[in-house]
Amino acid sequence: MRKLARLFATGFSMSLRRTLTYRTNLLFDVALAVAGLLSSLATVLLVFARTDHLAGWTRPETFVLVGTYQLLTGVKAAFLDPNLAWFPTRGIREGTLDTYLLQPAPSLFLASLATAAPLALVEAVLGLGVVGLGAYGHPPGPLGIAAWLLLVLAGAAVTWALGVLLACLAFWAPRLQLDVFYNATWQLARYPVGIYRRPLRLLLTYVIPLALIATTPATALLREPQPATLLTATVAAATATALATATWRLGLRRYTGATS
Amino acid sequence: MRRILRLTALRVRRQFLDWSGAWWFTITLVANESLGPLAGLFVWSAVFPGDPRVVSYFAALIAVQIMTASYENHTFSETVYQGTVSHELLQPQPVVIGPMGENLAIRLWMTLFGLPPAVLAGFLLGATYRRADLLLALPALAGAAVLRFLYTWILALTAFWTERVHAVVTFGGMLVALLGGAVAPVSLLPGPWRAVAQVLPFHAMLGLPADIATGAVTGPAAVAALGRGLAWIVAFTVLAAVVWRAGARRYTVVGA
Repeated sequence: MRKLARLFATGFSMSLRRTLTYRTNLLFDVALAVAGLLSSLATVLLVFARTDHLAGWTRPETFVLVGTYQLLTGVKAAFLDPNLAWFPTRGIREGTLDTYLLQPAPSLFLASLATAAPLALVEAVLGLGVVGLGAYGHPPGPLGIAAWLLLVLAGAAVTWALGVLLACLAFWAPRLQLDVFYNATWQLARYPVGIYRRPLRLLLTYVIPLALIATTPATALLREPQPATLLTATVAAATATALATATWRLGLRRYTGATS
Repeated sequence: MRRILRLTALRVRRQFLDWSGAWWFTITLVANESLGPLAGLFVWSAVFPGDPRVVSYFAALIAVQIMTASYENHTFSETVYQGTVSHELLQPQPVVIGPMGENLAIRLWMTLFGLPPAVLAGFLLGATYRRADLLLALPALAGAAVLRFLYTWILALTAFWTERVHAVVTFGGMLVALLGGAVAPVSLLPGPWRAVAQVLPFHAMLGLPADIATGAVTGPAAVAALGRGLAWIVAFTVLAAVVWRAGARRYTVVGA
């Protein structure tokens, strides 16, 4: 575990140095992250110019939700997307996976977390700021903050597991490219799941648990955290992680190599 | 002109056949284009519960979004980065024919896959339209299709100057979503923003056909909006030609 943490830190450090070489890109990405956040906030302001509540959420509460969403979007863009985006094409069909399999580290780690896009963390930092802005009027207690942190970690684990599971499909269907679909579905987590009609709400809570990305952590921070919710989220994160790892191993057994 | 049209038709046919093998990916593109307006539908339905205009507007918006989707930052800009645009530059035809043909072919496939579910969803959710409004929305839809292509094409041409073309197009997409009627119908924007949004090209790219189809923009207001869209098409065509010339002059390639 310590070896993996060291590898992760080294990979991040190398990515950071590579990124900082191009200063203009840094400014560009910061500007884009700010524009994205302003666009999300403008949406919230537009909605609340017409109503006081959105599916039971007030404006400051929705800021907390949007901030939490932005935080995990930044984490996903920084660590998951640079590795797993276009995995069926790059990893399987062009054979990048072969090089991972030859290296003395777990292939799942190398395929999903070896490199990073550190500038995307700007989005996560801005998201944290929006959470603070939303919670400013009614500061949460230490229990709420701890529950929020736990649920954000569970959300990050589920995000990673979903990304790996979608990538694993390429072992069986190499032409199946679901990145675009995953990123599109991800956008639905930006709003409280209460706004969606019942079948979609159930889908986003239990099948593709995007409710765990923003709605559940924001609820825990703003209202009394429910032990049952914390337990369910932890179990869901552990199950999703185990399922992703098992599916990866199963897929590797089927993999025959694209190169040589 | 006839030669250009024939070449474009041939390119559309070729790309249409090329894309026939990527039907699963096309479905994911349809889902990608639909989910934004779908989220808007749920948000504004929660704000105005039971208002049939919200459903009609966003169902029409999903159809417009699917039929006007443009991906020139993927289909063209990547050829600049990989240097393969050189092959196109050597051919005795305008380079834009390639991306334009692929754009039309992708839209055809997306319409085939995306329009029936969008119509069905609109019908099931209770969207209603008057036939006259739908007919008037057709020229607006054609204008939106041309304008959206030109806009994305101009942004995609920035690949000659920067390697962050996807970020440039993402930023352009944000403006379309915010001021074009995807985040909220333009009629719901605050006063000054509404005035700005109606003058800028983004409304004509996305929300205008849906506004006309639902009867929110009618009569002289609709004609004026169509006229503004046409003016933006002329302006974008000139701009695209200027940016293309500057980009092609800047482009250098090493190797064979």
